[in-house]
Amino acid sequence: MRFFDSHVHMVSRTTDDYQRMAAAGVTAIVEPSFWQGQPRTEVGTFKDYFNSLIGFERFRASQFGIKHYCTIGLNPKEANNEKLAEAVMELLPLYICKEGVVGIGEIGFDDQTKAEEKYLRWQAQLALEADLPIQIHTPHRDKKAGTIRTMDVLEDLGVDPGKVIIDHNNEETVKAVLDRGYWAAFTIYPHTKLGNQRMVEVMMEYGAERIVVDSAADWGISDPLAVPKTAALMKDRGITLEQIEQVTYFNPLAAYGQSGQVSEEDWAGSAGIDPTALFEGNTLLRGGMDVETAMSQYLIE
Amino acid sequence: MRDLLSPILAATAPASAMTWLSDTIRDQETSFQKRPFYYAFSGVSRHFDKRGSVEVTDEQSQALDGQVPGFSVKGWDQFRLARVILLLTLGKQDKATFLETIAALLNTADLREQAAIYSAFPLLPHQADLVEAAVDGLRSNIIDIFDSLALQNPFPATHFSKEEWNQMVLKAIFISRPIYKIFGIESRSNADLADGVSYLAHERWAAGRKLTPEAWRNCAAHVSDGIVADLEHLLSEGDPIDHEAAALVIVRDGSDRVRHLQERIEAGLDAISGGSLTWERLGEKLEFPATLNGSPAQA
Repeated sequence: MRFFDSHVHMVSRTTDDYQRMAAAGVTAIVEPSFWQGQPRTEVGTFKDYFNSLIGFERFRASQFGIKHYCTIGLNPKEANNEKLAEAVMELLPLYICKEGVVGIGEIGFDDQTKAEEKYLRWQAQLALEADLPIQIHTPHRDKKAGTIRTMDVLEDLGVDPGKVIIDHNNEETVKAVLDRGYWAAFTIYPHTKLGNQRMVEVMMEYGAERIVVDSAADWGISDPLAVPKTAALMKDRGITLEQIEQVTYFNPLAAYGQSGQVSEEDWAGSAGIDPTALFEGNTLLRGGMDVETAMSQYLIE
Repeated sequence: MRDLLSPILAATAPASAMTWLSDTIRDQETSFQKRPFYYAFSGVSRHFDKRGSVEVTDEQSQALDGQVPGFSVKGWDQFRLARVILLLTLGKQDKATFLETIAALLNTADLREQAAIYSAFPLLPHQADLVEAAVDGLRSNIIDIFDSLALQNPFPATHFSKEEWNQMVLKAIFISRPIYKIFGIESRSNADLADGVSYLAHERWAAGRKLTPEAWRNCAAHVSDGIVADLEHLLSEGDPIDHEAAALVIVRDGSDRVRHLQERIEAGLDAISGGSLTWERLGEKLEFPATLNGSPAQA
């Protein structure tokens, strides 16, 4: 099976992860721009971060046969540093029209401050101008109110909900998000977000339409195999193959495909891991990893 | 130059993309503005075929080489050629605008954009001001970016100091790039580079590894006693293709120093005098690692 993990922060992951993801069938990924744990103090570090997303990280992924796309944006946490935020907004137009940029993201609310709303609006306008999808980060605290407030802001600006992927949903937010016509993404992230048993229950109730499963694996305790593991659990619990493919591959492809920057042809005929595509003496590939062992523990709590 | 490049692009690109490109160039030549130029440079990816290649006839290749010796668009994709054509427009602006804009583009370029910028260097004005950027570009570990400067590009041979040239060629050998595609590989060869190749060979041999036989081309005009010993090693330990490389060096040198090796390269001598063994032929026989996206190495 092939998987499309539409939210994963590969700059924080190792080549072991790339190897295991490729072996488990992850074919394409979207890396959203986000904060990196340590708050940035200079606009130049944003620029170099965006350059990594369209440069070295894309190259690194390609060495493992994985197609790497990204979304570009100012994350809500760092939107609160207004002086820096203004400078980042000046930078964004240089990136959003580039090849492989499949949306503006991840943007939205964190603490739900005025500054966060200002930059959410500004960036949603940018997405409208460039005709790009929007990837929304929903807050960890007061999530339901933050999610509804995000949708209110977007609708106020005339954004089409069909071009917005709202991420980090849970049982509390999913109904409103789907009812209002948005894509509802679920992050399978151990401990702090959603375990995959709960994901299965969500699918039992809501089906597969406009639902997306991702890993959001990053610099915290997280799982870059969350999408294939969740697919394994779904199969085990009797969800149909068609529905599994929809939420782990076809839906994210359709949602981000609206950018015109990603299509299945991009990885058609992909040979997977190509060990000859490496530099002699400077290889990024290392010895084998036992992906079967990793996949046999597919429950994420 | 645009008169030569546009028809090459038009032969395979969508007509709508060519119209967009000529409209953009007309607007920018009437009144150059940085931000729309940035958008157009990135926006090539929204108009041209992302997997579309460029087809060039022998006459077109010769015409390009006639204008800028060593310059070639063989193996390019549509994105690269469209971006190079846009950069010719940027080249018509005043020097300060030109240099600022090139720096800004390089500072925010994705992989294919960087390759396009470096490929355009031999066609642009104010080349002396671009040398530092080219040297920096060659520090990349991304093969397509390295190749865009090192292969089929006359810029390094024209502008690099001996140290910069040697650094580039040694890295090309180190990462197994096709040496025969480096323009000026013979005219820029020098004794220091020959010593560098010999040293790298000894390192590889000590580790039980091989060196690309093309590397010895850099030593052909600089055969020292050390190189003679290396040739002996190649003839006793090497593969048939190493013997061919050794034969090419020995024939080029032709001095008494290598006289005693002549009898060991008889097959090579025949092939060289018959024209079937040249450095180009030797290079074409080798396989080079695939580049980014698993596509074959740039032809």
